[in-house]
Amino acid sequence: MAYTPQYYPGSTSVGINRRKHMSGNLEKLRDIPEADVTAIMGHRAPGADYSSTHPPLKEMGEPDCPVRQLVAPTAGAAAGDRVRYSQWTDSMYFAPSIPYWRSYWGAINCKGVDPGTLSGRQIIEARERDIEAYTKAQYDSEMTDVALCSMRGCTVHGHSLRLEENGMQFDMLSRTEMGADGNVYAVKDQVGIPLDKKVNLGKPMTEAEAKKRTTIFRADGVPMCGKVGVRKYDEAVEALHHMWELRSKWGFRPE
Amino acid sequence: MVTESDTESIQVEIVPSRFLMPATAQKLLNEIYGNGGIIRIMIHGPNLPRSVPYGPGRGVPIEENRDLLIEVGGQAFELCVKVGRIRLELESEKYFDGLKAACERALPISFQIKRGKFFHTRQTITDYAKFGKVEDTRILGLIDPKAKKDRMAILSEERVTIDDEER
Repeated sequence: MAYTPQYYPGSTSVGINRRKHMSGNLEKLRDIPEADVTAIMGHRAPGADYSSTHPPLKEMGEPDCPVRQLVAPTAGAAAGDRVRYSQWTDSMYFAPSIPYWRSYWGAINCKGVDPGTLSGRQIIEARERDIEAYTKAQYDSEMTDVALCSMRGCTVHGHSLRLEENGMQFDMLSRTEMGADGNVYAVKDQVGIPLDKKVNLGKPMTEAEAKKRTTIFRADGVPMCGKVGVRKYDEAVEALHHMWELRSKWGFRPE
Repeated sequence: MVTESDTESIQVEIVPSRFLMPATAQKLLNEIYGNGGIIRIMIHGPNLPRSVPYGPGRGVPIEENRDLLIEVGGQAFELCVKVGRIRLELESEKYFDGLKAACERALPISFQIKRGKFFHTRQTITDYAKFGKVEDTRILGLIDPKAKKDRMAILSEERVTIDDEER
């Protein structure tokens, strides 16, 4: 029987969503054109050449190395692209993804990436054409709600702040805006430079849907212990206690 | 038992569950103003810079944050923050119920309103550096210790002053 990885324990909706994020088996909710994702990332103009740090690997003549023969380089690495980043800020008000789960998704499902997890933001670095593909995958999938998540290269403030009246995550630089038609538009790139044209990101999730898709345990949503009042905690807490116990005892050898 | 005098001033904090749009903030402030009895008021929330403060886009103007003029009691002034919390001091307790009703009228979202002590009474070193010796203690606690003193707007019957520098 083929091995199926067990990514995360628990039977709560959050546990199930966390497993989905880690396994990469995500629902596609929207389709934002590649050129628009490139424009929002702001590293190069859509259609422009990729800048490179070294010649393509084929031209370089690599040393005889069994690991290099075993592992196929990613498209970006093969072409010698520069390393670029995309950084996300997800609201703690039931955003579908949270920094750790974006990182798990990146580390498990993407090749040649360096995910960085911070308290209120999450960054992934990779070769430029790879990170563009990974960013598009994040934008299009249920990891992202266009109102509660946004790409912020700098001035990332917003994760732990109250939402705005219209349900958008607060953004000091106003990189996204709610249109009169109820769609969210990206008007600036990651670092706050205005885009040539607004990018329609589609409609945001309703509050109920965001709560359904979230990977955040919250006392006013789905608590980590599972259903309140049951005699047995959810498996997520038991597994956490187990890991905590092993970690606390790790290396302790009473002899 | 000591009976509190009902003519003593009280301090109140209003916290809406979401950040307010300038239009809602204006409506709320006007309702509060209409209720009367205000000694001083502080609007609190995250800063709205006029240009990108750092990063590759540093210096690019943020048009959305410019000219956020609101009119309170017939006088216009510019908002520098996203309104997330309002602290005020009322002349006496009798204005409190009216204030609560004013918030209910103006806010389309839920809010918390609580009484307490929100403004400090003794001058701090920061106040000293900013204002020198403070004669009128009403200005204590009105602006963030890290903010420049020109963030304070003086709204009186005669004039409004705020010198908002380009930042």
